[in-house]
Amino acid sequence: MTEKTPYSSVECEVLDVKVETPAIRTFKLRPVRELSFLPGQFMQVSVPGVGEAPFTPSSFCKIKETIEFTIVRVGRVTEAIHTLKPGDRVGVRGPYGKGYPLDAFRGRDVFVVGGGVGLAPLRTLMYSLFDMRKDLGKLVYRAGCRTPSDFLYWEEINSWASKPELDMRLTVDRSDGTRECAVGLVTTIMDFDGVDVSKAVGVACGPPVMMKFVTKSFLSLGFRDENIYLSMEKNMSCGFGKCGHCRLGNFYCCKDGPVFTYAAIKEFPGIWD
Amino acid sequence: MTPRLPPLMYPPMNFLSLSRSHRLFEALGRNYEIYFPYPGYSGSSFTNSALTPIQKAELGGVRTVDPVKAFFFMGRERVSDGFDSAPPGTRTRPLCIIGAKACDLQGFRILDQVFMDPEYGDPTYRRLRETSLVISSDCTTALETCFCTALGLQPHPQGLFDLNLSPVDGGYLVEAGSAKGQAVLDAHPDLFEEAPSGLTAARDAARSEVKAMVESNVAATGTPNGKDLAGRVVHHYDSPLWAEEASTCVECGACNTICPTCHCFLLYDQKNDRGFSRFRVWDSCLLNDFARVAGGANPRERLWMRLRNRFEKKFEFFPATGGMIACTGCGRCTSACPGKIDIKRVLRKLAGD
Repeated sequence: MTEKTPYSSVECEVLDVKVETPAIRTFKLRPVRELSFLPGQFMQVSVPGVGEAPFTPSSFCKIKETIEFTIVRVGRVTEAIHTLKPGDRVGVRGPYGKGYPLDAFRGRDVFVVGGGVGLAPLRTLMYSLFDMRKDLGKLVYRAGCRTPSDFLYWEEINSWASKPELDMRLTVDRSDGTRECAVGLVTTIMDFDGVDVSKAVGVACGPPVMMKFVTKSFLSLGFRDENIYLSMEKNMSCGFGKCGHCRLGNFYCCKDGPVFTYAAIKEFPGIWD
Repeated sequence: MTPRLPPLMYPPMNFLSLSRSHRLFEALGRNYEIYFPYPGYSGSSFTNSALTPIQKAELGGVRTVDPVKAFFFMGRERVSDGFDSAPPGTRTRPLCIIGAKACDLQGFRILDQVFMDPEYGDPTYRRLRETSLVISSDCTTALETCFCTALGLQPHPQGLFDLNLSPVDGGYLVEAGSAKGQAVLDAHPDLFEEAPSGLTAARDAARSEVKAMVESNVAATGTPNGKDLAGRVVHHYDSPLWAEEASTCVECGACNTICPTCHCFLLYDQKNDRGFSRFRVWDSCLLNDFARVAGGANPRERLWMRLRNRFEKKFEFFPATGGMIACTGCGRCTSACPGKIDIKRVLRKLAGD
């Protein structure tokens, strides 16, 4: 067998670019060979010769031919990604790390809370949870964004309201007159009915400060440390525990995460920094 | 029942005279690209046999200024070309490093663990480790910055070498530490001879003397023993010691690049005539952007937090995840620091209340 370098990317063609918000676009890619992933795992997306950055896919993991990434324009690489058009070539390597342990979710209530661009990885998770819906107890989804025009997948998420047995509520920090939505931080809509908190799974994905307060809410609602799943954001580079950038206590976010239980990381200082 | 060993017919042929050592190195130069320490103004540094005659090699003394890691985990290295999954070809001739010290060999323990894991092994590092010949040598003196004995090491190699040369009167006592090293001895029977009597005792006495020098450094500076440092960084997590020590740091990153165990790197992509390539370059956790994420959030935005990170990584993370402290007591970070941050002093503060 010829030796492979773990640093090389798989070539992908950009099939479609969807403008989600002024700063966020979703890119649909077709890799030249299959790239399987599990919800919560991340990949490195690169613009040839420019650089790469870590993202969690936002599409359903059972769709194998294509893969979608929803990407905010915030830095040098994402600036270049946002110039991509259908037909352009990009690189993707991964997946890396551990995703959500979906098998462990079976038979339990699942409470998902997302914020901002954290709704992108959660879309992948929600597709899988819908797919295994009959194996779950109650399914609760809470999402918040800064303003209604920042709300990712607005039409799609609102269409979930018609799904049976999904307890869904959305909120924004402040109204901007564009879309009708409740106003308030996501922690103000975490009340629910009939969830068995002693066994329920809590999932949080969003900016660190939001996850910190959502974790506090989960704990005060009675969720157990080991049942709270957090998607931690660090600057993952290599993706396999060598480059040292994403250390979180005695873990590397890329290899041991990016999804951690609160129980696994709560003793480390500075986890929300 | 102990099996009977065959009677030892010949005394070990383990003495290599100085002049014959040059012949050995020249012979090895036919198969290997040879690097060896050459004395300079601020200590020995590695040089190539193409630049400096091998006769000028200085195998005694202390560790070189530059870490041996630089030959295996290079400062900048092309790690992929375009979308090609095969690793780029690098050098064609294997390396022979002469004069590595015990602290650098210990560095291999950490780097091997990082770069040679079965799932995501770094092909370049692994290839260099597998093809290179490492000829180490005993320290024959110690610097004020040396403190390997506090970390359970000795100032002479105790493994991880192919051959070790102990400087003695008129040459070296040679020990093979691997099959590769033994093969070198077997291939050159004419160069080795029976050690003149008393040389083994002389070597042991010299080793004890150097060890005592390092131990006296450790004692004089109150440097704690590595095994007493468990949990100390976390204990002092919010201590003013970090800001005190970081007050003279100029954020140059020399402590990282010169460290035999620091392994952090960044990947960057560059357009070139192959289309584009990816490079792995040394990174430094003392630099401001090291942990910063796109969008600007920085979990270690203050310099003292980044200094603390370096100690947390070496004295908490590695013991917890790899079962060993990622410091070899070589003292290079202290020597290299323009801000005179002394690792022994930091460790002494960590050991205190």
